[in-house]
Amino acid sequence: MKLPLKLTVLAAALAAGCAISPEADRQLTEARAAYRLAADDPAVQRHAQVELKSAAGALQEAERVAAEGSNSDLVEHNAYLAERRARTALSTAQAREAEAGIVAAREERRRAQLEAREREVALAREETQRAETARREAESRAALLEHEKLKVVREETAAAELAAEVKGLHAELPDVQAKQTARGWILTLGSEVLFDSGATLKDESRRALDNLAQFLRKHSERGIAIEGFTDSNSPKDAGQRLSERRAQAVKFALVQRGIEPHRIDARGYGPSFPVASNETETGRQQNRRVEIVINPS
Amino acid sequence: MNRIALIFVAALAACATTDPPESTMASARTMVAQARPVAQQNAPAELAVAQDKLARAETAMQRGHYEHARMLAEEAEADARLAWITSERVRTERALQEERNIR
Repeated sequence: MKLPLKLTVLAAALAAGCAISPEADRQLTEARAAYRLAADDPAVQRHAQVELKSAAGALQEAERVAAEGSNSDLVEHNAYLAERRARTALSTAQAREAEAGIVAAREERRRAQLEAREREVALAREETQRAETARREAESRAALLEHEKLKVVREETAAAELAAEVKGLHAELPDVQAKQTARGWILTLGSEVLFDSGATLKDESRRALDNLAQFLRKHSERGIAIEGFTDSNSPKDAGQRLSERRAQAVKFALVQRGIEPHRIDARGYGPSFPVASNETETGRQQNRRVEIVINPS
Repeated sequence: MNRIALIFVAALAACATTDPPESTMASARTMVAQARPVAQQNAPAELAVAQDKLARAETAMQRGHYEHARMLAEEAEADARLAWITSERVRTERALQEERNIR
């Protein structure tokens, strides 16, 4: 049993010679800490699996050799590699995170720019539309105003012209009354001017009818109503018929002078609507009449 | 008895010489060369360590201390990788900061 004893002593001496130095021990502790730090980092788990695995390999080797307690240099070497690789894993993960951050920041900025541009475009479009609407409204207001103004001017002019014409007409027909009413101008001709008796026009009425026809030709847009009236002396039905026939006779005379029949509305009212008393001869004479109503265009 | 013998063998093996670690050296050189232009600005300390280790590995190779050279080369590569990624991280984080400042 002497030889084994010697061998044991020799092995112990050798082991002691290569025992783990404080330097190797310190390096191993550092490697463990660095590895733990990297392995616990979720970013490393995400981005640096390969580097972490390589660190783990070196650390296992360092632990294995340290457990054998035989080679401090090899322990220190592997612990050093483990520590460097663990830090490499950590740095890799951080670099990858920063890269992802850059991509996200750029994307965010691009999106914000796009949104800002879209907002600007929408705003500009709205502004344009508002301006266009305002312009159109102003235009149509101006057009409407112009139209109204023209209409008023036209109406005024037409009214003035008509008044002048009617006055002219009146001047040509001394026996005619002319007055302006809500229905338009009304020319009143005494029946004696137009008729002797019955519904046959007198020759003397020709000039008055010529003038009236000329006036109607000039004012082709206007229609007229011819309304016959009698006094209350004749029986009501007879007066009614007479007034109608007289109105028709005037219409016929005007149509003969080239006036379109549809422009002339001839009616008789008999003794209705007297303009004076039927008690006196003067009044009755005034009531026997033909009224020519010139429609306001 | 067997266990003691194993420890003995292991202790001897740890000190044994090996073949020249050509591929380890090559990848260390490549990694240091790759890190140098970018790390000079953002991770000069880490780069300096890597370059120093590689130089020592080259010396060890010349002297035929292959095991020592292999370990130094492995460490130089790990240092260079760290220097490179550290500089990348610094650069990227700065870019992110700038990106956020634009707003």
